[in-house]
Parts: sequence; C-alpha cells; structure tokens
Amino acid sequence: MRLGLPLLVALVTMVAGAAELRIGNGGEPLTLDPHRYNLNLEEKILADLFEGLTAHDAEGHIVPGAAESWTTSVDGLTWTFRLRKDARWSDGEPVTAADFVFSFRRLLDPATAASLAYFLYAIEGAADVNAGRTPAEALAVRALDPHVLEIRLAAPFPFFAERLIYPTGYPVPAHVVQKLGDDWVKAGNMVTNGAFVLAEWQPQGFVRARKNPRFRDAANVRLDAVAYYPTADRSAAYNRYRSGELDIIGDFPPGEIAWLEREMPEHVHISPLLSIMYLVFNVAEPPFDDARVRRALSLAIDRQLITGRVLESGEVPSHSFVPPMVENYTSEVAPRTVDTEAARALLAEAGYGDENPLRITLRYIAGADSKKVQVAIAAMWSAIGVETALHHAELNAHFAELRQGNFQVAQAGWFGENNPEHYLELLMSTTGDVNYGRFANADVDALMAKAKQTAALEARLALLRQAEAAALEIDPVVPLYAVTIRSLVNPRITGWRTNARNTHPARYLDIQR
Amino acid sequence: MSRYLLRRLAFAIVTLLAVVTVTFFLVRLAPGGPFDGERRLPPDVEANLRAAYDLDQPVVVQYGRYLARLARGDLGPSFRQKDFSVNELIAMGLPISVGIGLAALSLALLLGVAGGTFAGLSRDGPRDRMLVLGATLGLALPPIVVAPVLVLVFAVTLGWFPAGGYATAKHFVLPAVTLALPYAAAFMRLTRGSVAEVLQRPHVVTARAKGLGPLRLVTRHVLPSALMPVVSFLGPAAAALLAGSMVIEEVFSLPGLGRYFVQGALNRDYTLVTGAVIVYAALVLAFNLLVDLGYARLDPRIRHA
Amino acid sequence: MREALLGSPLARVCCAVLALVALAAVIGPWLSPWAFDAVDWDAIDVAPSAAHWFGTDGVGRDLLVRTLTGARVSIAIAIAATLVSCLIGIPWGATAGYLGGPTDMTMMRVVDGLYALPFILLVILLVVLFGRNIVLLFVALGAVSWLDLARIVRGQTLAAKNEAYVEAARAMGVGTPGILARHIVPNVMGPAMVYATLTVPGVIIAESFLSFLGLGVQEPQTSWGVLIADGAREMRSSPWQLIFPASMLAMTLFALSVLADRLRDALDVRRPSARQALRRA
Repeated sequence: MRLGLPLLVALVTMVAGAAELRIGNGGEPLTLDPHRYNLNLEEKILADLFEGLTAHDAEGHIVPGAAESWTTSVDGLTWTFRLRKDARWSDGEPVTAADFVFSFRRLLDPATAASLAYFLYAIEGAADVNAGRTPAEALAVRALDPHVLEIRLAAPFPFFAERLIYPTGYPVPAHVVQKLGDDWVKAGNMVTNGAFVLAEWQPQGFVRARKNPRFRDAANVRLDAVAYYPTADRSAAYNRYRSGELDIIGDFPPGEIAWLEREMPEHVHISPLLSIMYLVFNVAEPPFDDARVRRALSLAIDRQLITGRVLESGEVPSHSFVPPMVENYTSEVAPRTVDTEAARALLAEAGYGDENPLRITLRYIAGADSKKVQVAIAAMWSAIGVETALHHAELNAHFAELRQGNFQVAQAGWFGENNPEHYLELLMSTTGDVNYGRFANADVDALMAKAKQTAALEARLALLRQAEAAALEIDPVVPLYAVTIRSLVNPRITGWRTNARNTHPARYLDIQR
Repeated sequence: MSRYLLRRLAFAIVTLLAVVTVTFFLVRLAPGGPFDGERRLPPDVEANLRAAYDLDQPVVVQYGRYLARLARGDLGPSFRQKDFSVNELIAMGLPISVGIGLAALSLALLLGVAGGTFAGLSRDGPRDRMLVLGATLGLALPPIVVAPVLVLVFAVTLGWFPAGGYATAKHFVLPAVTLALPYAAAFMRLTRGSVAEVLQRPHVVTARAKGLGPLRLVTRHVLPSALMPVVSFLGPAAAALLAGSMVIEEVFSLPGLGRYFVQGALNRDYTLVTGAVIVYAALVLAFNLLVDLGYARLDPRIRHA
Repeated sequence: MREALLGSPLARVCCAVLALVALAAVIGPWLSPWAFDAVDWDAIDVAPSAAHWFGTDGVGRDLLVRTLTGARVSIAIAIAATLVSCLIGIPWGATAGYLGGPTDMTMMRVVDGLYALPFILLVILLVVLFGRNIVLLFVALGAVSWLDLARIVRGQTLAAKNEAYVEAARAMGVGTPGILARHIVPNVMGPAMVYATLTVPGVIIAESFLSFLGLGVQEPQTSWGVLIADGAREMRSSPWQLIFPASMLAMTLFALSVLADRLRDALDVRRPSARQALRRA
C-alpha cells in the first residue's frame, strides 16, 4: 500500500511536468522537530520547511526572515524584531510573536531535551530555564504586540542575528504543537512557515516536501517539490547521480575529480567550507587527563600529509580551532608543527615508552574520508610508539557516544558560523554535552565570559583570541583541517551559488524545463 | 490433515515465542540502557521516560507487559527515529522487502527449475557440465561482489536500470536479480539431481519407451515428482532470502525492513531491532507453514501420517 | 575420500588453489616487506606496481599484504566458528541418535525449528549488543551453523549404535555418557569432521557479509569482507581495490564448494547440500 503512493506521486509528477528537485542529503534525519535536531543534514531540510527571524540568502548571507527588520538597543542587550504582517503558517494561521515566545520556551524547556539548546544561552535567563532552575516564563523573550518580539540578552552578542538562523531559533506553530504533542512532526500534521511543507517521510527512503502556497514569498518559489535522499554512502550517491536519479549531491569519491573535471566540468562545484575538523580528547579520564600525553599526540600529526596526500580536494590544514576562513579573526595559537622527538620525550615523561606503550582507542565516523584520515593518524601515532585501536560508528551513534563522554579520543567537526565564538564555545565548561571532552579550564572560561560581556567588537575578538590560545596551549583538541565540499549539481539547476557555509535554500533554486 | 496443520501451527507459535523471549532478554542483557547516548536528561524527565517504557519495573513485569503489547501488535516506539513508532517503520519497510523477496524467489525458481531440468535431462553431457559449473560459480559469488559489479555495468555504464531507490518497477530489477542468483543456482542443483533420479524410475522409463515427446514427458511425468525437494526447500530458502535482502537493500539504498534492521543495529535502536527480528521470524515461520501445507497436498504420505 | 578430493582434474586444481591460498595467508604477511597497517606515504591509492603487486589502498597500505592478512582473519574466523559448531552439533546429534524415541524427536524438532530462523539476524543482534570483537563473531557464527552437523551425526549414530562393540559396552554396564563419549563420538568423528569442513564457506560468506555492513572486524585489522566493501566504494577510480580481494574470495569459495560437492557425493549426504549453500546468504 505504501509502495503504491510514491509510485503514484512519481507518476503524477511526471505527467504534470512538475518541478521536483532531488537532493542527495548525505544521511537519514533522526527527527524533523527543529528544537530536537542535531545534525547538519537535518538542518538543511528544516531550513526549507521553516523560517526563523533571520535566514540565509542564496549565497549564505544573513538576511531578514520571518522578521522584516530589527533594532538593537545602545547597550546591545535588547533586540526588537518586527515580524512580517503577511506571514502565515501553512494552515493559514498567522505567524505571531506569541509563536516565537512559545518556541523559545519550548526549546529551553528541560523536558524537550534539546541538545543544542545552548545555542541560545545568550538570551537572559536561558541557561537557568534550560537547567530547570527557573520556570520557562523567566526567559526574557516577550511579545510586545502580535508582530513585535523583544529579546533581551544576558550580555552583548554582536553575532545574535547570525545565531538565530539555526533550527533552534525556528518558530513552531503553538496551536498545532499544543494540540498534537509529539505527533505534530508527522507528515500530514506538520504545519510550517517556510517555503515548503513536509509531504511524506519514508525513513531510509526519502523526505519529500512540497511547495507551501501560503509562504509569504511563494510567488518567487519556483520548485513544486523537493525530495531529500539519505545518501550516506557517497559512492552509491555518485552512482545515482551519474544515472540521473539525483540532481544534487553534496559529496562524491575524490578519485573521480580528475575525470569529472575533464568530462563534465559544468557539474562540479568544489569549495572550502567554513569548518574545522578536529580530534577531541576525553580530558575527564586517563590517559588524556595528562596534558603531556595530549600534546605528544598532537605533535605527532602531520597535517600537510593528511591534506596533501590522504585527502585530495584541497582541504586547508589548520592549527587553530577557529577555522582560518572566519573573517576579521587571526588566531594566535602556537602551531603544533610535527616533532616526533619532542612527542616521544613527552610520552616518556608521562610514563609511556617501548616497555609500556600507550594504548588508546580512536573513534571515528563511518565513511571513506574519515576512515582514511584516522588510519593515517593511527599510523603517525604508531611512529611515536602509540598503539591505536580504531572504532567506527555511524554518524548518529558516533556523536551519541561523544555526547555521553564515552570515548578516549575521537574525530569531530564543527561548522557553519562566521563567528569565532561558535567554535570556542565548545571549549567552555558550561556548554554541556557538545563539549565532548568535558574540557573545563577556569582561565579559558573567564576569558570567554569576559569576551561575552564585551560589546566592542575589536576588544571582544582580542579576548577570544586569548581564550583560544590559552585553551589550545593545553591541547584539549587537535585542530586538523577545514573541510572541502565537493558537490555535483546538474547544470539544469539554476540559482545555485557556491558559498562557504554550503547553504543552498531550495526556495532560490529552479529546474530548467 | 487438520491435526497436522494444528501441530505445525502450535510448533510455529512456540518457536516464535522462543524468538521473542531470547531477543527480549538479550537486549536487556546488553551493557548500558536504551537511553544511553541520548542527552543526559534531567532526573525527573528521565524517570518519566523510564516509566513510559516500563523500565522502572522488574524484568519479569516488563516481559509480561511486552508480551501483552505484542499480542496487540504494538512493537513500541523507536528509540532513535524519534518521530516514528516501530510499527510505522515496519509497515513502511516490509512491503518493499517482501516485494523484492518474492520477485527474487520467483526469478530464482524460474531460472533454477528450467536450468536444472535441462541439465538433468542430459546429465554429465557437456551442457550439463557447463550449467553445473555456472551454478557453482553463482553460489561462490556472494552478493557483496555481484551487486557492485551489476551497478557499475547496468546502471552506471549502460544506464539501463537505476542505481538505487525504488520509485518504479525498473528500480527492482537489479536488486531482484542480484538476490536471485545464488538461489537460482541452488534450485538448479536440486532440480538437476532429482530430475536425473526420476528419469530412472520405471514409469518414466516406460513412458519414454512408448515414445512420449520430451516436453510432455517432462511436464507430465518428471517434474511433478522431481519438484518435491524444491518445494520442501522453499522454506529455508525464504529465510535465507530475507537475510540476503539486507545486503541488497544496503547496496541499492532501498528502504526495506533489512535496511531498517541494519541501520537500527548500527544506531543501537533496540526497539527497532527487536521488532524487526520478531517480524522476520514470524514471516519466515508463516511461509514455512504455507510450504508445509503445499507439500502435504503434493505428497499423499504426509496427508495420512 | 581421497578419490573425491583428487579424483578429477578440477578437484585437483581446487585443492591446489586452497593450499595456495592457505599457504599465502599463513606465510605471505611475514615475507612481505610491508606490515598490514604500514602506510607508504609516497604511494597512496596507486595501481599495482613492482613495489605493491596488488596496488595500495586509499591510505597507502599495501593491498597484497592486506588481502593476505584479511585471508588470515576470514579463514581463522571460519575455522574457529566451525569448531564451535562441532562442539554443539556433534554432542547434540550423537545424543539424539543414541537415545532415540521421544528425546530424539524433541531434539530434532528443535533443529527443524531453528532451520526456519534467519540466523544472521541473531548474529547481528549479538554483535550490536555486546560489541564488535572477533571472539564473539566466531562464537556467534558457530552457534548458528551446527544444524547440518547435528543431522549428519545423528544419522551416523543411528548406524553405529547397534554395532557389536557398543552392545558389548552396554552389556558391561557402561553408562550412556560413557558410551557416547568413548564409543559413539569417536566413531562418527571422521564423517563429522569432513562434513564440518562444508561449514567453512558459509561462515566465510557470513563474515564478509557482516563486515560489509560495518559490523565485522575493525580497522586497522581487516578481512575479505572489509576489503571488498571498501573496494566496492572505489571501484571506478581504483578497481584493483575491489578486484584482488573479490577474486581471492570468489576463488576460495569456488574451490571450497567444488570440493564440498565431491565430499558430499562421496558421503552420500543428500538434501543439506543446497541448504548449506543457501544458509550462507
């Protein structure tokens, strides 16, 4: 019975000549509840279904979204958003400031158990509400009238408008969520305010969204539907792209680059992503509670070999935790250039040597690139006498273990914002479980707290630089490189703009017919 | 006949109950609880969740409640796929797996019986040797080798079939063929052996001597008896086929039960994995029962036993 | 038995192939200048050459030594699992056959019931619940591969239990466990062991299948399944990564199944042959 429906949809789509964009989205979403999301691939779908106060344009710039404009008080603490009067939910109800108040409270309600709730800890009262210390009403988000929303921050945060583009900041329809509870996310129930609305979700099959005719800018949305396929295996995704079943894929085997650039160059889009790939040590437990051991392992890694030989698409090696591409920010971290002698000496100092070798387990995400990198790193560590066992897990399971603190050293990545704090927050003791290694350092916390109190951008950035240098001096993480995105986009697709955030809202895309 | 049926049915139910019990306790023996890996929840929220899943009760009570829910056909919520229940996931995946399984089984039967008859009729001749060698090769090439090669040749290079997904009937061709090959080989060997054996039987020899044409000889006299082992083998074949479909679904990105099972396993989705095992077992047992019934119809000795 | 193994040119070729694979797996890695986890930074993802006969993988590890190490792991798991299946299957079959009557009925009914289950699911469940380690892998695979063996042993026991020496032992007052251990099992051991070898290809396929799904051995350790899964992902740009391990596996399985056929014919064991073949998948 279920088999028939997609068949019918496909048939109808063909007959009507409707424009459906088929995207290889890299994996299966675990939830489409914007407040419970965790993964970038979920974020991509959610960005087409919902619209936050601010949004990305086709090139990844921050533009007004559900809010048509906003003002900031002189002290930088009070942000007043003016919502669009014509904004409607997909069921026709108006999108109001009350929806936003409901949504921010829901995100921070401990019962929602939102992993990324801390994204909005900048709001006054947010951390206390999220910890269950104060009731949700204590959150400093108020509806001044149906179309004016006021948010007060605990401290000045110049990047707040950028911070609001994540699904954590999306509104959910209060009238639907209150009525249906957790069932509101099911296809058929879900009501959204974005350019598209969820039509069907077959787990491991696809998520299909159709155009939302009530979207405020529906007149300029060209596509009739978007289907997101869970292409976890990139060579399978590549096969499907090559046989014409997908219009866009976000990754393909690097060994194909040369052939593609020769045979179908108009399909290939290779560009750096605003991101950092790193290794994180669990500093809460031996052996990595010892900073000497951490530094030794860091000193053994040759980033040039990894980016130059193992990976093949121009990844940028990085010694800083804040990606080199972040604007207006020059890291002051002391580079850990390869020094196996020093590494061995540090290990000996910590009590490890040929007699008593350090034995560790390195966890990584199942997938070809990450496997190659971790195998290479294990080989580099074996050169300083460290025996590494590798353990791989699927993306979701991997990060679930990391959030639990159930690892010794693991691969991780973070990306998306043109704001150093976005990365450095991962090293604050208050961040919660995405500070996977449970790194807690009083100096770093103090510098970060001070930076977050500083409204003047230059002074703020200077403090952030100090915090980063202080943290990386004791090696809680090993920054490795900035990722390169290899996309294939069918030339029939118009409106695709390569950008460092790798964000491509479907409302700006079209298929030439 | 009806007593036989009842006995088989009772046997199937006992087996299924054993599977449910083993799976239930195995899952609870595993290190770590089902909510490990989730964000650390506030104690009262976690207590609520544990209560909602009966995890605050003694294991025996949990087992009883699980059986009671199972009897109503409720496999519980998925621990990982938060927006779905296990029932919903299985309802979506099962038709795809069963569809491919049936397609592969039919294809395997068709190829296997035809090839096997052909080979059995000319036993030890050159054609027979070729076919037997081919069958051995077919069995030696596991789907993990065959599937990528078929994709490369027929989907990517020739573009005859899609490389994955399941929107149209065309999408099912490569997966069904890949899945069918080893079973076709096995059916062929079975048929060949029993055709050769039946050909020696007196009534066939007589019919042959009377100058009956080869086609009528085969359809009237040889196949009806020669197919008995093939029929009795359908049950185990279906069990193996379902398991084989896991690899096929992975390779061809088909959202079937096998893929849910494997992804559930990789993501430690205990409820989904348990549910899938139970459904698989029930399916296989039901199929076996059907095969036994069919066999009983064909074979008079069983009817009277 | 000899006749079955060496009677025809094809059988002789198969024996030679198996011997060669086994020999290469055992001594190959020692002779190779490369360790199975050593990275050659100057030869990453290169086609077969004088330095790397099978080429290298995506990290620059020698594929020849990895294929042979993978053979070691795959074959070792297969043998260990087969031994486990003997430990269960032989006593089970011998007991059922010797005691006969309702005990026999019940015990063989259990075997019939188990035949109907898709075992690979249980193996996956075990691996998921208790972690991926090699010991668990072969114990689990062994624990699900003993059914055929139990049937064969039961048949052999039925024949053996009326032999004069068993009768004599019984008359001398030897208890059932004693008779089973000292007289029945040693006598059915020969055919049982031969038959047990037929389990090997099934286990090899099952292991490769689990590894393909990412549930088998972990890096940097490897097996044929892991190598094939990796190779399949790179088969357009680096076909050698698929071709060598896949043909090694296919060759071994082909040789094993040809020989298995001969053995089976020699032992005149009927039905389970195809069953055996099918339970692999």
